[in-house]
Amino acid sequence: MSEKTYAHPRWGRLWSLRGREARSERALTARSVREALVSLAGLVGRPVRNQAGQEVGRFLDIVVNFASIGEAELYPPVTGLIIRVGRRRLWLQAAQIAEMTHGEVRLASARLDLQEFERRPGEVELAGSVLDHELIDVDGHRVIRASDLVLAPLRDEIRLVGVDVSVTSLLRRLGPARFRIRPTPDRVIDWAAIQPIGDEGRVGGVRLRQPAKALEALRPAELAGLLESLGRGERQSLLDALDRSTAADAVEEMGAEHVQRLLRDASSELAAELLTEMEPDEAVDALRDLSSEERERLLAAMAPNASARLARLLGYDEDRAGGVMTSTLLTCKEHETVAEVTGRLRKLSEHAVDLPGIVVIDHEGRLLDDLTALELLLAEPSTSLSELVGPPWPVTVTPDTLVSEVAVQLIENRSASLVVVDDGGVPLGRILADDVLDALVSEKGHFQLFRLARP
Amino acid sequence: MSRRHAAETERAQPGVAVHPGSPRRRRLFVVLAILGPGLIAANAGNDAGGIVTYASAGAQFGYRTLFVMLVVTVGLVVVQEMCARLGAYTGQGLGALIREQFSLRTAAFALVLLMIANTGLVVSEFAGIAAAMELLHVSRYISVPVAALTIWALVVLGNYRYAERIFLVLGLVFITYPISAILAGPHWGSAATDLVIPHFLANRDFLLLGVALIGTTITPYMQFYIAAAVADRGVSPADYPDTRIDTISGAIFADLISIFIIVATAAAVTTRAPLNSAAQAANALRPVAGRFAEQLFAIGLLGASALAAAVVPLSTSYAIAEAIGTESSVSRRFSEARLFLGLFTFEIVLGAGVALVPGSLIRLLINAQILNGIITPVLLCFILTLANRKSVLGDAANGPVFRAVATVTVAIVAIMAAAAVVTEIAGL
Repeated sequence: MSEKTYAHPRWGRLWSLRGREARSERALTARSVREALVSLAGLVGRPVRNQAGQEVGRFLDIVVNFASIGEAELYPPVTGLIIRVGRRRLWLQAAQIAEMTHGEVRLASARLDLQEFERRPGEVELAGSVLDHELIDVDGHRVIRASDLVLAPLRDEIRLVGVDVSVTSLLRRLGPARFRIRPTPDRVIDWAAIQPIGDEGRVGGVRLRQPAKALEALRPAELAGLLESLGRGERQSLLDALDRSTAADAVEEMGAEHVQRLLRDASSELAAELLTEMEPDEAVDALRDLSSEERERLLAAMAPNASARLARLLGYDEDRAGGVMTSTLLTCKEHETVAEVTGRLRKLSEHAVDLPGIVVIDHEGRLLDDLTALELLLAEPSTSLSELVGPPWPVTVTPDTLVSEVAVQLIENRSASLVVVDDGGVPLGRILADDVLDALVSEKGHFQLFRLARP
Repeated sequence: MSRRHAAETERAQPGVAVHPGSPRRRRLFVVLAILGPGLIAANAGNDAGGIVTYASAGAQFGYRTLFVMLVVTVGLVVVQEMCARLGAYTGQGLGALIREQFSLRTAAFALVLLMIANTGLVVSEFAGIAAAMELLHVSRYISVPVAALTIWALVVLGNYRYAERIFLVLGLVFITYPISAILAGPHWGSAATDLVIPHFLANRDFLLLGVALIGTTITPYMQFYIAAAVADRGVSPADYPDTRIDTISGAIFADLISIFIIVATAAAVTTRAPLNSAAQAANALRPVAGRFAEQLFAIGLLGASALAAAVVPLSTSYAIAEAIGTESSVSRRFSEARLFLGLFTFEIVLGAGVALVPGSLIRLLINAQILNGIITPVLLCFILTLANRKSVLGDAANGPVFRAVATVTVAIVAIMAAAAVVTEIAGL
């Protein structure tokens, strides 16, 4: 129950990326607005009065514009109110609001300019589609549900500044009006750390640059956890907010059944892009879980060379070396220098985890040696690879080797990975120790209904 | 960045020890995994309260309640299907959907009712454990606290999954009911007539028992369970036809067992008076088990009750925690979920506590089912509203015909519950 606006430990890491100035500036902003917080839940159903203090209608909802938030603007501005006059739902421009206090809205003039509400791109009704719905708390990398939304005047505009997630606020809203209107800002999360998710009406049909950037600073496993825990529409929306390679990293971390669900729900185009970005062995795993029609459809939607690579891997049995290997390899010729190779390695850094070694081949493409990154690091940049090639010679397996046999080889050779070669000695791919573990360790058939109850 | 999670690959396939196999074998497991929530949810209805209520119906009214069971089966199919559909299309449980789709006060009202109904059920599950252990000559003052502590520890600290399977297997004892029913040589003719021909006995006991039958068969917790289970297993709209088959067949199968419990008890117990002990109910298994009937009945009752005593508070806490949403479902550590843990503990303690109050365990069981029967129609209204809304289900929302059938079902359940309340008040 302890998070305050910036108190989360992850802030430290995020902020170090963004720079100190931004941090202190935002902390200041937070302090200055705390005095003037208005609870949205407390406004719903309350009177809207004109300048003379007469009631003109009842507050129904408030509309903010998500589209206008960019690098500088972290808090979406209020564009207007929806009020009920008699039985009609009418729209009131934000410019007409003189004051918004606890439980009451006062208008600037006695003359009303009312019209029917029509949602423009980027506009979202807060009470209708954000309050009580799920949001992503990017810093806590978790899904939250808004107990209340906090508004505050900021630079002459009323803006959405935070999300209240406390149970206290829920209880307050259940109580009589005099409790309901008073905000209880004990567990308010800064809106800057929030990623709205959901359908068109909830995110205003726009991608939010700023929060999405913060999302990309999350670890793939954290993003995977978020993707797994969201409902269908919300997951799709989060996926849309991420760039493809970040999304692909996260998808690799997701449980198989979640990946399967995600690929089915996504458009062929998006699914194909994700599969292309994923590590080949992970992509193949995901494809195996789909029906053959779905597999064909996705392979057809991919670029020809990417789909050909995956189709080749799909040809191997899952319990054979070929079925668990990744085809991501860095192959180098004997005459290349260490400096050249490290240069190429740098370009492949996104595959870093799958590249524990550098495969050296002869002029006919056959495997000569498997060098570790450490060997490269210790060698002089001008050294040619041929000087590093030498015993102990790498242990290799063929694509048809059983996974259990691969495990034995790994143990005997005390290595973290093996190179897979074809009958002619040409390297095809690499098997990492954890791939073998994944293939051999079978889960004991957990029946997972209640995530929280999982031991 | 990859691969830590690939070990989870096979997790979705319950009860099957999977080794990496050919794609085709994997497909089969996926089908098996999907064939599940409906069957489990509906059969969880055959818990302590269920068995005792069905047995009581058979003992007191012979075959006369069979027609009610036929109506209840239609209702169960309709309701379970809506819940499974909501789970599959939205990927969320009913708790979350109610919070998002209704005003906060209305949602709180629904969840408080769920909490009350389920606490009643937890009481009845512990009463079932007590009754079972008394048949095995263990005092309830020993068995109930021990059971409560064991279930709490298994869920919070230990490996609940294995325990769940043990309870499930123990509960399978009740599969012997159909055999017992056949061996007892019931009057098939009158059983069939009473099943098919609409009739109603105009007396208070029959009405209350009818409500109890509804309450124990169309239990609110089962609705929340199936939606959560379907959503959590990630059944997608594309997979939904399989899930629908599973849901409907599960409901029908569970009710067939219920009908056989009524028939077997009606044939074995001919007092035509309310049941007053578990030993009496156990007589229905005599054709199969002979002098071991009591022991067999006790084992089945223990398994069914213990399973439900864990599942009911789990699904209640899940629904409420999901609706409140202060605890992220991403956090998978039980110890981090204070609200969830608190609710779970509260229900177990309260349930076990009430079951320890001296008195007839059988009456306690049936009263809990009546309470459920009264609350059920209110929660059904919520489910019906959700399943009718295009804004929730899109094209999968109830069509006009289904909407009419479901509305009539809910109306019948509501009228029976209302009549029960009225007679109860008038009777006082």
